[in-house]
Amino acid sequence: MGKIMRYECRRLLWNKFFFGLLLVLLFYGWQVLNSVTLLGVSHTAPFSPWSFGDYLSRMVPLLWLGALFFLTFFTSGKARRAAVLTDAAPMEPRRYALSRCAAALAGTVLLALAVLVEAAVFYGWYFQWYGWGQLVLPALVTLVPPLVFALGSGWLLGRLRPWLVYPWMLVPFALLALPLPEALGLWNGRFFSVYPLTLGTLDPNLVLPASVLTAQALLLAAGAVLLCVHPGRAQPLRRNHAA
Amino acid sequence: MKTLRLFPLELGRLLRSRLTWLAVLLTVLSPAAGLTLYKPATASTMLSMYLANPAIAGGAAGGILFALLTVFDLDRARRSRADVLTDAAVSPLTMAWVRLLALIAAAALTAGLAMLAWLPVSRWLMGAVFDGVDYALAYLLFLGLALPLAILAAGAAYQFTRRTDLSLVLFAAFAGLSLTVWADDWQLCWLNPCVWALSDDFSNFRVFRSVAWMRLTWLAALAGAWGVSYLCIRQYGKGLLGSLARSVRRVWRPVIALALLACSGTAYAAQPFYDNSNPDLTAMELYELDYAEGVTLLDRTVQVFPDTDAGTVEGQAVYRFHNTSGKAWTACFGVDPGYDLTASVDGETVSAVRTGYEESNMALWEIALPADGEVELTLEYGGFPKDWNLSSTVQGDPEISEIYLCLENQRLFPYLLNVLPGEEGYPTTVEVTLPGAMLAIPFGTSDAAVVAEHEDGARTWRYASNSPGGILYAGDYVRQDIQAGGITLEFYYGRKHQAVMEAAGAADAVRAVVDYCTAHYGQLSFGAGDTLKLIQSRVAGGGYAVDGASLLDEADFTTVNLDDTGKGGGAGEVMIHELVHQWWGLGNMFDTADAASPWSAEGLTVYTTYRIVKELYGADYAQKHYVDQWRQAVDGYYLSFYVRHPDYLERLPEDKQLEITNALTYVRQYCEMPLKILKAEQLVGSESAMDQILRGLFNRELDPAYPYLTYQDFLDACGLTEEALDLG
Repeated sequence: MGKIMRYECRRLLWNKFFFGLLLVLLFYGWQVLNSVTLLGVSHTAPFSPWSFGDYLSRMVPLLWLGALFFLTFFTSGKARRAAVLTDAAPMEPRRYALSRCAAALAGTVLLALAVLVEAAVFYGWYFQWYGWGQLVLPALVTLVPPLVFALGSGWLLGRLRPWLVYPWMLVPFALLALPLPEALGLWNGRFFSVYPLTLGTLDPNLVLPASVLTAQALLLAAGAVLLCVHPGRAQPLRRNHAA
Repeated sequence: MKTLRLFPLELGRLLRSRLTWLAVLLTVLSPAAGLTLYKPATASTMLSMYLANPAIAGGAAGGILFALLTVFDLDRARRSRADVLTDAAVSPLTMAWVRLLALIAAAALTAGLAMLAWLPVSRWLMGAVFDGVDYALAYLLFLGLALPLAILAAGAAYQFTRRTDLSLVLFAAFAGLSLTVWADDWQLCWLNPCVWALSDDFSNFRVFRSVAWMRLTWLAALAGAWGVSYLCIRQYGKGLLGSLARSVRRVWRPVIALALLACSGTAYAAQPFYDNSNPDLTAMELYELDYAEGVTLLDRTVQVFPDTDAGTVEGQAVYRFHNTSGKAWTACFGVDPGYDLTASVDGETVSAVRTGYEESNMALWEIALPADGEVELTLEYGGFPKDWNLSSTVQGDPEISEIYLCLENQRLFPYLLNVLPGEEGYPTTVEVTLPGAMLAIPFGTSDAAVVAEHEDGARTWRYASNSPGGILYAGDYVRQDIQAGGITLEFYYGRKHQAVMEAAGAADAVRAVVDYCTAHYGQLSFGAGDTLKLIQSRVAGGGYAVDGASLLDEADFTTVNLDDTGKGGGAGEVMIHELVHQWWGLGNMFDTADAASPWSAEGLTVYTTYRIVKELYGADYAQKHYVDQWRQAVDGYYLSFYVRHPDYLERLPEDKQLEITNALTYVRQYCEMPLKILKAEQLVGSESAMDQILRGLFNRELDPAYPYLTYQDFLDACGLTEEALDLG
């Protein structure tokens, strides 16, 4: 299984898509840090958990897009044609699928790490600030649930109908335009700019209301469950010619 | 030839695709998002709400849809593994051209359909202010040109990467930047032009020109990028570099691509719309130049010839100086940064040097002059005027067209910086030649009269003034005279706005403001027959006032404002503010604002505006739209991280520091000071007690050596200390 995962990781990460995506993410991230995060969010420091969370929220749509594109490596028509061979391998299909999910997860984690490192460099560069410990919680809460959910839901959709993954990529962009309730504020990033103003204190520590935590926990759980769901065999390829 | 032969076939194939028609349909429907979800133009004029917003939303959505269509169309042959066959039949380079042309033709068709579909809707929504030229230009520039830009961007991304996924990610980031962090940068927001307002009553050519410039800059950039990607189209089974090496054998291909990129870079760097003024708004270098020793201005004569078709200005200004020093000297002028200048003395050309320094929308020019006792300096100037760079998010000035024109100070004639006035001040005669339908209105106490009529219908107007600079408005105006507060108000507004002004009872609103200020603070007095001009300007988001004239923003009286029942059917808050400046700021002068203090003419003016609004629209409205807003802004100021931790501000690059401090200065003058005056009102006991104090200050005896109203004067009159007004 380890061998298969290493192979899948190499297939996923050692190609121009991964490096192109990485460059795009870093460029976009630097623009956000320089134009928005630098000013600080809701009267807090640019390196506060709130400003940092706002930055991550702005990066989530692109990370979501990247994660789903990773999945298309396994769900595309080309991959399904190759599945005729890989299914014949002496390996339980479930474990094979798990290896692929793990590879997609590894790719997504690497992209997220690049985004985090970029912010760390930015904070060190401008403010000589290195207190990264307090940024772990906003990073976990902001990034992990949506990205796990992206992989879980995308994996399921891709196996049901490969084309469904593409419209699914637009979901975080659509959420940006929707007036979501406070509990779902992390889904479009407004939580970090609105909630600290309601706390009535200066430079508040990161506080997550139970409703927000519940929403994120549910999202994470849903993602994990969807990753484990096995919808039977993948949708067979449509034959265009008579046998 | 092959390209031309294949084009109709490819276009026909594209138009038979259901995906194409889905993209066309959604693009045609997408302007509806500008009426509900996405409203980048924030002004309350009808054209902003019902033309700019739908067209920009349609362009953004259509651009994204056509980018998706482009990527899927370019990938079609490869996806179906037919590329081996098609490449054998037709060169992939030829097919790239054919596909690009077909997609652009489909985009043009879509833009045309959107224009046709929204024409009756826009006409109905905008009513009497609908204008066919504005409609056509808005849809062509805001919506139409977004589509080819998106096609080129997506096409280039695909041809470079030859991958759908990476192309889509590249495009998503590119579009995302335009819609978010670049949205306020007029040159970078390639998908959604930075348009905040369109005028209902006057023309919008300046906005359309700047959007066209931005679009053409990006068109050259993306066409260049597409051209480079064209060289990378895979052929003969080679990879990116192998294909590139083969394609560049025809030298004209890379030359054209690089020339397009160079054109774009030049257009970006040499844009003619905004200047390079010192970003430090507190910089006063031009106003602190040493005066030329022993030199005074005798008089000046100016002839101005605006070209209303091209939006440019040409002019000649003759300055006469008296020099008692017996030495050669240098005259310094502040000139619009978009103008060029030549100088001559007694018919002999002299050197005019542009120093390169720009401040407050003026470029500093230096002209060395001889030691003669009397010097007549002639300046020939002209060009396409540039606006102050800090105004780039509120584009639209200076508008110069055959129905509206505004030339302010250094834009009207070179502003003399380092010569003292003679005994008669700055005697100036201005002649301006305008199209026949335009009425010339000097912004001040002067009146213009027609002195010549030309064969082409143009008329030359002349007026005399006596001030260091000068502002001239001209347009298709209606004049209404109003008696109020013992003076005559000459109220000028656009002819197209006449019905709205009458429905709004604008004259009554003006009279109410003047009567209020006269009753509470005292009567105004002007040298020229006690008349005050009130001139409606093109939508500008603010205004200004000088002795004898105040501005009224077009957005003060719009149909939307009239429908706002919260204001009791009235509006005109910029008009109120600028009229109040006749009492605070002009009737009583304020010294140059100290960057460290919130005291300026704006504090008392904003407070008085609040009091008038409270009387006109009620206490609840005034509390919500004034006091609560000030408090929110001031709280934001004191809570701002960089105000609390200036040490972190110092660590930022200078441009970022200035960006932050400029925004904070505004809050202190326009929000903190009015709140302090409101607190003073509570401490002195009542509104009427404060009115008595302000009346006393307005009518106080002036010290000719220092005629300014200071913060200490205000505190003394209130019997308060600075600490008593702390808001903390």
